[in-house]
Amino acid sequence: MTATQVQTSTMKPTNPWAKRNKARTRDVVIASLLPGILAVVFFFVGTALGATIDPAVLLIIGFLPAQLLAAFLVGRKYYGRHGREDALLIVVTIFLSTFVMVLLLSVLWSVISAGALALRPSFILQNSHYISGTTSLEYGGAGHAILGTVMAVAITTILTVPLGFGIAVYLTETGGKARGVIRTLIQAMSGLPSVVSGLFIYSILVLQGWQPSGFTGSLALLPLMLPTVSRVSEEALRLVPVDLRNGALALGSPTWQAFAKVVFPAARSGLLTAVLLGVARIVGETAPLVLTTTYNNDTNLNPFNGPMAMLPTFIFGYIRNMYDTSIQRGWGGCLVIMILVGVLFVGARVANRKKK
Amino acid sequence: MSPQGETKIPAKRQLVTKPSRTADKVFFGLTSVAANFSIVLILLILGFLLYQAWPAFQSQGFSFFSGETWDSSATPQIFQIGPMLWGSVLVALLGMVIALPLAISLAYFIEFMAAKKIAAVATTLVDLLAAIPSIVIGLWGFAVFGPVAQHWASLLHDYLGWIPYVFYHEGANYGGSPFIAGLVVSVMIVPIITSVTREIFSQMDRDVVNASIALGAGRAATFRKVILPTASGGIVGGALLGLGRALGETIAIFFVLNLVFHINFFQVINGEGGTVASMIVSKFGEADASERSALMASGIVLFVLTLLISALSSYIVKKAQPWRTN
Repeated sequence: MTATQVQTSTMKPTNPWAKRNKARTRDVVIASLLPGILAVVFFFVGTALGATIDPAVLLIIGFLPAQLLAAFLVGRKYYGRHGREDALLIVVTIFLSTFVMVLLLSVLWSVISAGALALRPSFILQNSHYISGTTSLEYGGAGHAILGTVMAVAITTILTVPLGFGIAVYLTETGGKARGVIRTLIQAMSGLPSVVSGLFIYSILVLQGWQPSGFTGSLALLPLMLPTVSRVSEEALRLVPVDLRNGALALGSPTWQAFAKVVFPAARSGLLTAVLLGVARIVGETAPLVLTTTYNNDTNLNPFNGPMAMLPTFIFGYIRNMYDTSIQRGWGGCLVIMILVGVLFVGARVANRKKK
Repeated sequence: MSPQGETKIPAKRQLVTKPSRTADKVFFGLTSVAANFSIVLILLILGFLLYQAWPAFQSQGFSFFSGETWDSSATPQIFQIGPMLWGSVLVALLGMVIALPLAISLAYFIEFMAAKKIAAVATTLVDLLAAIPSIVIGLWGFAVFGPVAQHWASLLHDYLGWIPYVFYHEGANYGGSPFIAGLVVSVMIVPIITSVTREIFSQMDRDVVNASIALGAGRAATFRKVILPTASGGIVGGALLGLGRALGETIAIFFVLNLVFHINFFQVINGEGGTVASMIVSKFGEADASERSALMASGIVLFVLTLLISALSSYIVKKAQPWRTN
């Protein structure tokens, strides 16, 4: 590049300390609101005049280009060259973020509104004995499935939590030699497709003569919960300052005491979070249960013997029926699962907040 | 240190943790048992599935991966998962392509744009979205989102149908297409990619970003020239992580995708498809012994595929966080 080709330009200071320009504020507000208002007005006036206007088409072909153009013009007017790029970036970012939030709220709203129709005391308290896909919603419920889920998840938790904590301690406290390998394997296990976990338990237990029961289901959930518990608790243990640990060791305590009396109390809330997130991960897991448990319309209080219903299989079975009332029951089951997940989620947040 | 004579520098001692008493030995032993259990578990999964799948691999040969027929009533039985394998890849790729821009802009919004309180609310919502079980997303995708997405598909066909092949569609029913399955899957992997990307964004050296702004770059220039190059490794890793999840997604896809044993390359709004995972769930109930063996074989193919992708993604994410030790 020769010297003559180099363009020199004087940069215009943007003066962030300057007083707010009233005209600029006004234009920015107009540019952010006008396209939306115009789109809404266009939609309603057009519909009132008898035209069929597709909201999706209007949004993509009408509103978005108009909003981009408005932001582009205002950005260029007040901030120059990078103003117009920034304006486009802001519009696109907010548009896409809003899209995700709308999807999320749509999921939550449909679960709550459709599930509320099915949810009533009998839905929680009764089982589905004598219930078919077309029975009115006043009869029967998911009580047996809720009990089944609670028992199976409890068994999985009892089995998984010591293992998960052990792995986390191995990775952070005792300095095992195979840390890299273990961490990679845990990472790999967290990507294990849930259906494969079900196939595994089916091949190792059911094909060897075990009858499908609640217990086989909870074993199929174990490989799915383990990576969550061990990774989150590893992060929790890692947050404990090294000096605390070294202090305990320097005072002469053996490693297990340094862990049990210093590190563990310091990381307790984080470890609780790990357990709660792990439970939240598996409480709605369906595919492994479909393969390793058999559905039951009756209450079964023994997870080690006989078919046992669980919420995910309850929902799965009723959705597959395809009758309106059975799909309603499915929504009811979804609402119960979402309430469980929500409680666990809030619990994890609260436990985590205490630490700070 | 004396000026004359050589001072002897002792070799640096290596610090190692070692169990010192019996209780300690038990403690160390227990943790390594737990750690080794994870190795055993992975090996057991691979070993037992392979053991059960072996007859299917043996009888079907290589056409297991490439063929387009699944017939358990024929003699000899034919089990080939070509369309499902491609369907898994197609749906996962579609999901990732849709989810990636959504996730990046959401992460950018949370980290660099929104006020602190809004960012906190948005973060909570994204984490909540990650915690929604796939059966709930499946029912939503089937009953609520499905009709909307079918309408979108019909619009794509109406307005972009002149593009050959890709937006081809037959009949009036737009349900059960890879397009809808991809959208539903993208809803499930957006939070995964967002949280990885957001973490990379938040760990980024703020001085670099501030320096770029001080030099007169605007938001867009900073994003393009500073943030994206710095975070690209993490974003790619997060995207691969999402791809792995999308490949393994079962129940949600089971409800929204038609299972057809015919390879549908890129006709995304045509109602033909199927993925390995959804096929396993739909065929497992009525399968006989040899068909189960074939399903186990498909399971192991799926597992190996996700293993490869997750290994790649964890490698890339690790490379993208060089500041993180041990």
